[in-house]
Amino acid sequence: MLGINIAFVVVLMIVAYTVLAERRILALIQGRLGPNRVGYGGVLQPFADLLKFILKEEVIPDQATKFFYLLAPIIAITAALMTIIVYPFGPTVNLPFFGPVKLVIAQFDIALLYVLGMTSVGVYGIMLAGWASNSKYSLMGGLRASAQMISYELSLGLSLVGVVLMSGTLDLYSVVELQTNRWEFSPVLNFFLQPLSWNIFLQPLGFIIYLISAIAETNRVPFDLPEAETELVAGFHTEYSALKFALFFMAEYVNMFTVSVLATTLFLGGWNGPGVATFPVLGVFYFLGKIIFFLFLYIWLRGTLPRFRFDQLMNFGWTFLLPAAILNIIVTATVAYFYY
Amino acid sequence: MLELTSVFLFMLFGGMAVGCALSMIVQRNPLYSAISLVGVFVSLACLYVTLAAPFIAAVQVIVYAGAIMVLVVFVIMLLNVETEVRRPLRLRYLIPVAAGLSFVLIAQVFFMLFFVGPVSSAPSNVGLTASIGAGLFTEYILPFEITSVLILMAIVGAMTLARRAADIPLAARSADSSGAAGSSFTDPINDSRISGSRPGLTEIVGREMAARAIERLESRTGRGQGEET
Repeated sequence: MLGINIAFVVVLMIVAYTVLAERRILALIQGRLGPNRVGYGGVLQPFADLLKFILKEEVIPDQATKFFYLLAPIIAITAALMTIIVYPFGPTVNLPFFGPVKLVIAQFDIALLYVLGMTSVGVYGIMLAGWASNSKYSLMGGLRASAQMISYELSLGLSLVGVVLMSGTLDLYSVVELQTNRWEFSPVLNFFLQPLSWNIFLQPLGFIIYLISAIAETNRVPFDLPEAETELVAGFHTEYSALKFALFFMAEYVNMFTVSVLATTLFLGGWNGPGVATFPVLGVFYFLGKIIFFLFLYIWLRGTLPRFRFDQLMNFGWTFLLPAAILNIIVTATVAYFYY
Repeated sequence: MLELTSVFLFMLFGGMAVGCALSMIVQRNPLYSAISLVGVFVSLACLYVTLAAPFIAAVQVIVYAGAIMVLVVFVIMLLNVETEVRRPLRLRYLIPVAAGLSFVLIAQVFFMLFFVGPVSSAPSNVGLTASIGAGLFTEYILPFEITSVLILMAIVGAMTLARRAADIPLAARSADSSGAAGSSFTDPINDSRISGSRPGLTEIVGREMAARAIERLESRTGRGQGEET
C-alpha cells in the first residue's frame, strides 16, 4: 500500500518533469529559451501549470455525450497508471527499518501481459473522447488513434515474444534477474562487461521493432497523427479543457514512461549495471537513468523528425514492422530450441 | 477474512458483469451497448483473477476488450450509427423459448446448489501460463492447429469477398443508371480503360456514387430530372 503511494507520487513527479524537460529541450533544439521564469530555471513550472489547469474554466460542449465525455479521461489516466504496480525498479535491498525488500510492488506470473492489456484498454479513453466530443476533429483524431494503436499493438506484442521465449517467463522481475549474469568472465570483466548480459544484444531486431511500435503506440512524433495540429487542431482532445485535458496530457506521458520502463526491463537489463552486485541501491539509479535516456530519446525525436502521412504509417506498420517481428520470432524460436 | 474478501469480490465483479450485460441489451445506442460489453469482459477478467486463472484474465482483456471490441467500436464510430429505433417485435414466438431457457438455467443453478455442493478449493494450476502453453502444444495440439487454420480461412474468405466486390466493373454495376440523361459524371465511368474501383480512382468513384445518390433521392422525392435540365 505504502509502495503504491510512493510509486504513484514518484511516477507523477517524473511525468511532470518530463513535460518541463520536453519544453526546455525542444526550446534548445529550436533555438529558443523555453519556460525559465517560474523558480530557478523553470523548476517550478509543472506546479504552476497544474495550478493553471485546476483554476481554468471547465467547458463541456453542448452537443457532447456527457457520460462518455467525462468517462474518457478517467479511463485514459486509470489505464495508464494501473501499470505502475509491476515495474521492477530495483533489486532486493536492505532498507534501514524494513529489512531486505524486493523493489517491486507486485510480482506475478503475467506481469507483461497485464501491462499489454492495460495499454490496450487505454485506447478506449482516446476513442470515446473522440466520439463523445461530437466534433469532426475529435472524431477524426479518435479514429486515427484507434486504427494506429490496433495496428502497432500487434508488432509491439510480437516484438516482445522473442524476449519472452528466451526468458521463459512473463514476470518482469524474473526477466530482469535473468539479465544479471548471462556470461561468466573473470570477476573484473564481469564488472565491466555486465551490460553484455542485457537482452538487447541477443534481440537487436526485437528492440528496434519494439522502440518504433512503442513510439507509435504512445502517439508521439513522428507517429502523432491522432493529434496532428496542422490538420486536426488537437485531435481527440480538441474539445477538452482544464483538468480533463490535463488528465489526457498526463496519460500520454505516463504511457511514455510505461513503454520506457518496458524497454528498460526487457531489453536494457532493468536495474542491472556495473556495481549493482555490491551496492544494490545503485540499481534504482541505473533503472531511472535508463528510463530518462528513453524519455530524452522521445523528446529528441520530437524535436528532429517530421510527421508521417497516414497511409505511410499504416503501410510501414503492416508491411514492414509486422513481418520483421514475425521473422524475429521464427529466428529466436529456432535458436532457442537448439541452444537452450 | 480471506473467505469474506473473496465473496465480496465475487459479488462486486459478478454484479458488475450482470449489470453491464443488462445494460448492453437494454441500450438503444450501439456504442453504449459496445462499451457495456467491454465492461462485461473486464469484470469477467476480474472474476478469472479471483479464480486463480490470471493468464485467462489477461488474454480476456487483451483479446476481447483490447482487440475485438476496439474494432467493433471503431466500426460503429466510422459508420456513425444512429440510435436504433424501436421496431415492432417480429420474433414474438421466441419469448416463450427465452422463458423456458431461463427456467432451465435457474434449475441448473439450484441443482448445483443443492445436489452438487461446494468443490474443494484446492489450488490448481489450470489458469497459469505454463500449464496452458504445455496443454496447447502437447495434448491439444490438433484442436489448436485446426482452430488456427479455421481462423486463417475466415481471414482469407473475408479478403476474397472484399476483393470480389471491388473487382466488379463499376460501369456494369451502374448500367441501369448510367444512361440517364442529365448526369454528366458518367463519362469517365463508361471509359473502357476504367474497369473498377482501383485506388487512385477514388475521385471518379466518389463522383459516380454521389451522382447516383442524387438520382435516387430525386426519383424517390418525385422531383423529376426535367426540373434540373
